[in-house]
Amino acid sequence: MESIKEEAIHQTALKLAEEIKNLSIYKSFYNDVQKLVASPNVKKEDFKQTLQQAMKEKGLDTKLRNTVFHWVRTQSKQNKLDPLTSLSKASAQWEKRIHKSLNSMCSDLETSLAKLRPQSEQDDLSEKWHELSTYNLDLTKYRPVYAPKDFLEVLLTLSGYVPFTREDEPKWEFAHLPLQVKTLDQLRNVYVEWSNGEALLGVNAYMPSTVPGFSTLEAERISLGERVAVLGYAPVIQEYLKKGSPQCLRARLWMQVLGSEIKSQQTSYFNQLKKSVLEVDLMIDKLIFKDVQLTASNDDQYFVFEDLLYQVMLCFSRDCEIMQHLKGSIGNPLNVTIKGKQTSAESVTVFPPSGIIPFHGFTMYATPFCYLYDDPVQLYYTFRAFYIRYWHRLHYISTHPQGIVSLCLLYERLLEANEPLLWIHFRNININPVRVVFKWLMRAFSGHLPPDQLLLLWDAILGYDCLEILPLLALAILSFRKENIFQVNTLQNVDAILADLSTISVIPLLQLALMKP
Amino acid sequence: MNHEAKKIANTMYGRVNAPTVERCRVNFCTDLEKSVLMSNFERRGWNQVGPDEEWNFYWASTQTCRNLFSVESGYRMNDNQMINHFPNHYELSRKDLLVKNIKRYRKELEREGNPLAEKTEVILHGGQVVTRYAHLDFIPVTFVLPADYNMFVEEYRKSPQSTWIMKPCGKSQGTGIFLINKLSKLKKWSREAKTPFHPQLSKESYVISRYIDNPLLIGGKKFDLRLYVLVTSFRPLKAYLFQLGFCRFCTVKYDTSMTELDNMYVHLTNVSVQKHGGDYNSIHGGKMTVQNLRLYLEGTRGRAVTEKLFAAMQWLIVHSLKAVSSVMANDRHCFECYGYDIIIDNQLKPWLVEVNASPSLTSTTVNDRILKYKLIDNILSVVLPSDGVPDVRWNKLPTADALGNFDLLIDEELLEKDEATNNPGRSNKNKTR
Ligand SMILES: Nc1ncnc2c1ncn2[C@@H]1O[C@H](COP(=O)(O)OP(=O)(O)O)[C@@H](O)[C@H]1O
Ligand SMILES: [Mg+2]
Repeated sequence: MESIKEEAIHQTALKLAEEIKNLSIYKSFYNDVQKLVASPNVKKEDFKQTLQQAMKEKGLDTKLRNTVFHWVRTQSKQNKLDPLTSLSKASAQWEKRIHKSLNSMCSDLETSLAKLRPQSEQDDLSEKWHELSTYNLDLTKYRPVYAPKDFLEVLLTLSGYVPFTREDEPKWEFAHLPLQVKTLDQLRNVYVEWSNGEALLGVNAYMPSTVPGFSTLEAERISLGERVAVLGYAPVIQEYLKKGSPQCLRARLWMQVLGSEIKSQQTSYFNQLKKSVLEVDLMIDKLIFKDVQLTASNDDQYFVFEDLLYQVMLCFSRDCEIMQHLKGSIGNPLNVTIKGKQTSAESVTVFPPSGIIPFHGFTMYATPFCYLYDDPVQLYYTFRAFYIRYWHRLHYISTHPQGIVSLCLLYERLLEANEPLLWIHFRNININPVRVVFKWLMRAFSGHLPPDQLLLLWDAILGYDCLEILPLLALAILSFRKENIFQVNTLQNVDAILADLSTISVIPLLQLALMKP
Repeated sequence: MNHEAKKIANTMYGRVNAPTVERCRVNFCTDLEKSVLMSNFERRGWNQVGPDEEWNFYWASTQTCRNLFSVESGYRMNDNQMINHFPNHYELSRKDLLVKNIKRYRKELEREGNPLAEKTEVILHGGQVVTRYAHLDFIPVTFVLPADYNMFVEEYRKSPQSTWIMKPCGKSQGTGIFLINKLSKLKKWSREAKTPFHPQLSKESYVISRYIDNPLLIGGKKFDLRLYVLVTSFRPLKAYLFQLGFCRFCTVKYDTSMTELDNMYVHLTNVSVQKHGGDYNSIHGGKMTVQNLRLYLEGTRGRAVTEKLFAAMQWLIVHSLKAVSSVMANDRHCFECYGYDIIIDNQLKPWLVEVNASPSLTSTTVNDRILKYKLIDNILSVVLPSDGVPDVRWNKLPTADALGNFDLLIDEELLEKDEATNNPGRSNKNKTR
C-alpha cells in the first residue's frame, strides 16, 4: 500500500519535473539555481541539504512551490471537451453569430477586420499612447457586438437544445439543464469561515480585535497580511484573502496569489503587445475605444483612469497567450488576412490574437484594478490573470461549474429554495428572475458596486477560488430589497429598485445570508 | 387631563393655544432658492417668509449678513434666530486676509516660544535652502500686491525659475487668474493696470503665490479637493469636517511647458472654468469622491502615507481656523460652512489654496445633488438643538447621531473639559495657590 502511494508520488514528481521545463519561468529559475550551486553556501559533501537551505534563503523555494501550486491549479480545472454536446452546439452557433455580425459591420462600414496601419497613423497613435482619450476617431457608426441582454437571450434558449424539457413548465428556466449546482447548505460548507460568523474585513474595520496586542480587527489583519506577504507563499495568501484584505496590501497580495508579478520579461512582452497595436489596425480597436468611452469615461468612479484603460484593453486584444491558456473554453476564433502585409506567412492573423471579442461593458472587468495599480504593466498582468482564471467563464457558454450557465442555475435554485415568496411573485408578474440580476453576474458586479465594495467581493473570489459568491450576492440583494419588489409588477420597476447599489454593504449582507438561521 | 378633555380644551381655547404650536414651526428666509436648500427646508416642514418678516433661520448671502450686522441696520437678533455666516467671514475667505491672518498667527506663536512655530530648513526644487515653519507651512508663499511688491521681488530672486500665480483678492471661480514665470511679465501687467484704460484694475489688490508646479496627478491630470468645514463657534472653536468631499479634475493633461502657461484648462481646477472646455463630461462633471481618492492612494501608495496626508489636511484646517479665531466676531447666532480648496503635491503634502464662505450649492451631476442635499441636511442637524428650533442658548454639543456625515475636527470646550477631568490634581493645585 505504502509503496504504491510512493510510486504514485514519484510518478507525479517526474511528470512535474518534465512540465516545469516547459514553463516560461524555467530558464531564469534554472540559472538562479546554477548560480546558487556555484556559491560557497552549497557544499559538495552535503549537496542536497545545503542546496535546499540555500534555496530557502534566496526565496527560490517559495518560487518553486508557487509554480507548482499554479501548475496544479490549471491541471485540475482543465476540461478538455464539454460533456454536454448540446451546449457546445449552442456555443458554436452563438460564436458564428458573433463572427457574422463582425463581418457585416465591416462591410457596412467599408473597412476590413485587419489592416496595416499607415506610418503617419502609427506615429500619431504612438505619440498619444499615454493620452489615447485625445486620439481622434470617428466611432459614431460602431456599435458593441453584443450586450449582456443579447447574451442572456441566447442562454434562455439553451433549454431548447436539451431534449428532456417538460411541457408544463415555462421554457425559460435553467432548471431544465442537467447540471449540478450547490444548495445554500453546501455553500455554507464552502464559505465555512463566513457561515461560522468569523470576523471579516468589510463589516466593521473598527471592530475590536480578539487577538491580544491589536486594538482593531483592521490592525490585526494588516499585521497578519504583512507577514503573509513577506512569506509570499500563494496558498497561504489565498487562505488569508478569505477574510478580506486591507486595501493597502491588496495590490501585492493579489499579484502574489495569481502569480502575476512583473519581471523584465513581462515588461518586454507588454511592449511587444503595444508594438503590435501600433502596427496593425484591427477593427476591434474601434470597439475597444467605444467600450471604454461608453463605460469608464462616463463613470464617476473610473473616468480618471480612462487613458490607462485604453492601453490595457488594446494590448489585451493582441495577447495570443490568452488564447493559448484558454484553449478549449473559448471556441475557435477567426483567421483573417492583414491587408497590406507582404509575406504570406505573416499576413494571416487570428482575429483578434487574444481570441476574445469584447461585449458592451467588457472594460469593466479591468476597471477596478485601477484602484490598485497605476502602472499599466502591473495592472495588465493582474487583470489578465483574473480574466484567465475567472472572467472568461462569465461570457462563454459552457457546463463548467463556474460558468455563467451554472451560475444562473445556482441563482435560480437559491431563489426558489430560500425566497419562495419572491420566486412566486416573479412567476405571477411573469418576469424571469434572472433578467433582473444577469448584468451583475456577467460583469461580476463591476460598475454596479462602488469600488471599495467590489474589491472586497473579489477578495472572496480569490480566497475561495470560485465564483459562486456572485449568484449568492444577487440573491442576498434581492432578499434585502424584497419588500419593495413585492410592491411592483413590471420589469422596469424592479430594475429601478435594483438600480442603485451604492448603499449596499457587501460583506455583512453575504455573511448574513451564509450564517445559519 | 385625559386625551378627550385635551381635545376639547384645544378646540375651545384654540386661539390661546395657537402660539405654542406656532413656536415649534420654523420660519425660514433665504436669498438663494437652490433646490438642495429648498427641499431640505420643505422636508422639515419649515415655513418660508420674507427678510422683513419674523424669521428664525436665514440662509443669507454674505452681503445680506454683513448688512444685518452693520451698525446702520440697527437689527437685533433674538434668541430664536440663526444665520449662516459670521459677519466678518472675509478674515478667512478673502485671499489676502487669509494669508495675513496666518502669517500673524505664526508670528504670535513664535513670539510665545510655542513649539508649533518651530522652524526648519527645506530644500527647494532648484536646490536652494530656505527656512520654513516645520508644522505650519501649509500655504504656498504668498504676497499681497501692490503692497508687498518689494518683498515679492526679493523672494522671486531666490528662485527665478519658478512660476507664480496671480489672483485678484475679491474674485472667485477662477476669474482674473493668470500665471507668471518672468518678472517682466508682472511689470508689464502692473504698467497696464495703471493706465487710465483699466481703471477697474488699478483699484484691485492681488495675491501672488508660489505656483504649486508639482501637483499630484491621477491619470495625468491635475485636481484639487473641495472639503466642507462647518464652524459653529470660533471661541471656543467648534468645527466639523464633512466626510463627503470631492476632487475636481482638469479635463486636459497637466503640462508645465511654457506654451501651456496660459491654458487655464491645464492649471485651474474650478468647475466654472472646466465646464467651458470641449472635454467636459456632464455625467461625472470631472468629480471623484474623496473616499475613492483615499481608496486609490491606499491601494497604490500604501496606508501610512495616506493616513499622514489626511491627518495633515485636518491639521491644516484646524490651524487655519485658529489663525482667525481671535479676530472673528463670534456671534452666537452664526454658523458657517466653508468650502476649502486644497491641492495635494506629488510628495503627498496638502496645500491650502483658499477658503470659500459661500461654496457653490449648484448641482452639476446627480451625485453632486445627493452630496449637497446631505450636506445641507447634516448642517441643519448639527447647528440646531435636538427639537429642531433655532435657539442660541443651546450648548452646541450635537449628539453622534446628529453629526451625520460630519466628523468632529475640534471642540475646544470639550478639550478643556477633558483636560480638567484627566488632570484634576493640577487644577486643584492651581486653585489652592
Ligand atoms: N498656488 C497654486 N498652485 C497651483 N494651483 C493653484 C494655486 N492657487 C490656485 N490654484 C488653482 O487655481 C484654482 C483657483 O484658485 P482659487 O484660489 O481657488 O481662486 P478662485 O477663488 O478663483 O476659485 C484652484 O482651484 C487651483 O486649481
Ligand atoms: Mg477656489
